[in-house]
Amino acid sequence: MANQNEKLMEIRDLCVTYKTRLGSVSAVDHVSFDIFKGEILGLVGESGCGKSTMGKALMRMIDPPGEISSGQIILEGEDIMGYTPDQMRDVRGRKISMIFQDPMTSLNPTQRVDEHIIEAIQVHEPKTTKENGLGRATSLIERLGIQQRRLNSYPHQLSGGMRQRVMIALGLVLNANLIVADEATTSLDVIVEAKLADQLREIRDEFGVALLAITHNIALVAELADRIAVMYAGHMAEIGPVEDVFDNPLHPYTQGLLSSVPNIKLDDTEELYKMAGEPPNLTHPPSGCRFHPRCPKAMPICSKLAPKFEEVTPGRQVQCWLYQDHPQKETPAIKVTA
Amino acid sequence: MEQDNQNNQTSANSVPEWMLDLDRVGFVRKLFISRKWYGGDWWFVAISAVLLLFIILVGVFPQWFAPYDPKAEVGPSLLAPRELPPGYSLIAPKSAGELKLEDAVARGSTLGFVYGSPASQALREITTQMNNEAQEQGSKTRYQPRLSRFETVEEGLEAVLSGKINGFIASPAELGESLEKYPDLAIAIDLRGEAAKGFLMGTNQIGQDVFSRIIWGTRIALIVGLSSAIVSFLIGVPLGLISGFVGGPFDRVLTLLMDSLYSFPGLILAISIAAVLGAGIGNIIVAIAALYIPTYFRIVRGQTLQVKEELYVEAARSLGATPLKILVKYIFPNVIPSVVIIFSVNVGDAILTEAGLSFLGFGLPPDTPDWGIDLARGQDYLRRAWWLITYPGLMVTTVTLAFSMLGESLSEILNPRLAEL
Amino acid sequence: MTELSTLPEQEKSLVEINNLRRWFPVQKNFIDQMLAQKIDYVRAVDDVTFNIRQGEAFGLAGESGSGKSTIGRLTIGLDKPTKGEVIFDGINLGKQSSEELRKLRRRMQVIFQDPMASLNPRMTLGDAIMEGLRIHKPELKQQHRDMVLTMMEKVGMTPPLFFFNKYPHQISGGQRQRVVIARALITQPDLILADEPIAMADVSVRALLLDLMVQLKKEFNLTYLFITHDLATAKYICERIGILYLGKMMEMSDLREVYGHPLHPYTQALLAAVPVPDPHQRRTQPMPEGEIPNPINPPSGCRFHPRCPIAKEQCSQVEPVFRELRPGHFVACHFAEQNL
Repeated sequence: MANQNEKLMEIRDLCVTYKTRLGSVSAVDHVSFDIFKGEILGLVGESGCGKSTMGKALMRMIDPPGEISSGQIILEGEDIMGYTPDQMRDVRGRKISMIFQDPMTSLNPTQRVDEHIIEAIQVHEPKTTKENGLGRATSLIERLGIQQRRLNSYPHQLSGGMRQRVMIALGLVLNANLIVADEATTSLDVIVEAKLADQLREIRDEFGVALLAITHNIALVAELADRIAVMYAGHMAEIGPVEDVFDNPLHPYTQGLLSSVPNIKLDDTEELYKMAGEPPNLTHPPSGCRFHPRCPKAMPICSKLAPKFEEVTPGRQVQCWLYQDHPQKETPAIKVTA
Repeated sequence: MEQDNQNNQTSANSVPEWMLDLDRVGFVRKLFISRKWYGGDWWFVAISAVLLLFIILVGVFPQWFAPYDPKAEVGPSLLAPRELPPGYSLIAPKSAGELKLEDAVARGSTLGFVYGSPASQALREITTQMNNEAQEQGSKTRYQPRLSRFETVEEGLEAVLSGKINGFIASPAELGESLEKYPDLAIAIDLRGEAAKGFLMGTNQIGQDVFSRIIWGTRIALIVGLSSAIVSFLIGVPLGLISGFVGGPFDRVLTLLMDSLYSFPGLILAISIAAVLGAGIGNIIVAIAALYIPTYFRIVRGQTLQVKEELYVEAARSLGATPLKILVKYIFPNVIPSVVIIFSVNVGDAILTEAGLSFLGFGLPPDTPDWGIDLARGQDYLRRAWWLITYPGLMVTTVTLAFSMLGESLSEILNPRLAEL
Repeated sequence: MTELSTLPEQEKSLVEINNLRRWFPVQKNFIDQMLAQKIDYVRAVDDVTFNIRQGEAFGLAGESGSGKSTIGRLTIGLDKPTKGEVIFDGINLGKQSSEELRKLRRRMQVIFQDPMASLNPRMTLGDAIMEGLRIHKPELKQQHRDMVLTMMEKVGMTPPLFFFNKYPHQISGGQRQRVVIARALITQPDLILADEPIAMADVSVRALLLDLMVQLKKEFNLTYLFITHDLATAKYICERIGILYLGKMMEMSDLREVYGHPLHPYTQALLAAVPVPDPHQRRTQPMPEGEIPNPINPPSGCRFHPRCPIAKEQCSQVEPVFRELRPGHFVACHFAEQNL
């Protein structure tokens, strides 16, 4: 299970901006949170919320016209924002690895599976022999449920689920501490997705690797994650243990979002909550709290000032004026019991 | 506070303010505001549009811009740009007093000049002009001085001094220091030809004004360029559309035909067609048009094949649209943007080809003011008279560039995705 | 052969699908084609029979390769079956000429999955919606514009005059799907094929779109054929549902019946696989082995047998019959009685 006390990664006040023709877009705006060792953190949000950008930013893989304009990313005690390109190359793959949504385009179609894995090993550990690499690849592949004979296959000969598992293998073969999975199961069928989710949990249990699951599939996060982080329009609205957030969502956006997720269980007869409006255009984000135009509980202060992302109870942080005090605010903050 | 909430609710469902604003203003203001919302290189569009409008204006109304008739010999040959043509001085004895031009060139007067001096032409020009003016005024006077030729300037000046002739005409270059030896003689009249100011871009071998020729050349270039591009377009695009849409053996045959035409080197094909058809501006247009039909065909066919598979075409089919409607309303508008760019580049290229053809002597009658012809004539004078090819060359480049810029900027405008907010 | 129960009089079938098959020949390169002895087919739809009642929302659910989209297209005549028939309101679609079929389109419309791709980028929204009227009701030309504006209001595109002249790229995804819905409904069709209509919309917008579709169904007395891979969403709109696997229908009944008493092992696995948005209700049931096989060479007998937890020898040899085990509840499984 997750070791709640040991932090793997600390993200402090991260800002990612994109320069477009129409102005500067702040895709990630002063976001701070932690990733603990061995935890499964689900990062959810709708299109344009910045979750994919966040995932890439953690590996400093933001390409121009975007850039990480400020903030710190502290991995194992060191701020990787100050790393040289060589140091970053070492981090990527060995400490953090990424799985993408479309495995077809993220695997090299001209390389076989074993070549992929061996190459990954040799890039980071150049002294490894081919046999050694092959041995590690084989045991890992089998552990992930792919038959050994598949090692000789090319990506197009594998199914979607298998390709994703190859991606996971690439992440694990170097004993990465964190796997960032960006919509890794979105293109998969539901049974394959369920099996992959099971597998990810098993991998976490066995290898102790942390998993950042970036997805818009909230039900999947409920199924899989230890903690859930909700992003909206470049801000982090809420973060906390998954049971607590689902039982008692604090941020109005989270409340709306969780109530709008379809539930297959027949005994759930609640009507789906219909949230008003649409996610904002980030070249002209709303003033103050970015959610205020759609918020059923908006107060005057919400359109003027953006609230801070603060801890309201141990382990739970929210960015909402409902739970914070301010001289310009008339109603007192709501206290949250753990 | 409740009120605020409600406003928030309605505004969340409705449209953002700035979008509504954009919708409410008139067209001109919308263009102006859109440049900010649509981003993009609107200045690029503006520049190319202005440039092209100017070029078209020049092409349609060359007489407004050209100071001279392009075919007329208005000045001495090979005059450099802005170089003043030599003026001529009429030298007479100081004792003659005020000498009027009319008297100097009157019937009874004798004027002298050096053998072969261009002064004779200047004199001729002046007398012709004065005769014309007199005729217009209805006067019966005729100006025709007697002419006397001399071997050297000194002889001529001696003759003036001795009274044999009334006046001696020479250019300042010819006179040099000679006049100072004759204190009794002075410059009585300053004769200058019509072109007292010189020519903006100089003159060519025959004495035609290069600037005027360029201006008039624009007309030919635009006519040939635009016409051939339009003809290519009108033939190539429908063929490409139908071929891509219908497919099958018809498509195969047509593609083969077009590909073989396409593989011909351009200028050679144009020359062959021009040679077969003979001279004349219409035939040139046909020859150049034939060159570009395969290009349109290929591009349009390729795009049609692609657009045919799009979901909105299937949606149209599911709505119950007839194949013709699908072709015209769904496929054609989505294929056109790529063609527009080709069209503008095509015009520029057609102008180049036309210049090339006339350079080689095909098609246009030899005294037509055309850039290609001028380039051909001037190619031997690169060192002596650089202006003969520089200016026509510059014009070809500029006009081609202007059309290409237009094409680029049109692709920005016409492609809605690029205007994404 | 399928045994259909006798339908009560008032539940008239709008669409009848009988033994529908659609096989796609596999494209081979030249040499293989010369050497091959027989042509391989992708059996996208392989002997499917069901009916859609007037006024109901019928769901077709399945994973990739199940053939659900293909059935959808066959149902509204966008594709011709290899065998079997599609009967729409008593009219056999296969026997219609292309012109007759085109006219019939007024009564069956489609809402596609990708709203951006299904709208012509060069047509304004108003124009796109008006298209159906122009094609099928040209005589009402004067009223076209008003009819479009009214419809735009109904689907929630307010103020309609503002959106009338906009282009698809100028509005959001959710709004685009509304335009597609308006376009489909303008001709007052009887049947709407909705092919994963909300899959590409944002999570918070999906609920709105679903609600809109349910409301419009009531208002216009529509019949939906709702194709989806998302069983959770289907619960909120479908009255009856059919579960497809590899071109065959495995189970079909009222939605609450299928979700509450799934009789086919595949349905059970599928329902269990869908994640529940409640961390206290995590799945404990294991998932079937293996992956969806290649549709060119489907397994013999029951297509699910290689992965089925209760498969016996018979399953690999004999194809199960699609039979009615409970009233109105059909299953294609030899041993479905175990789950009764």
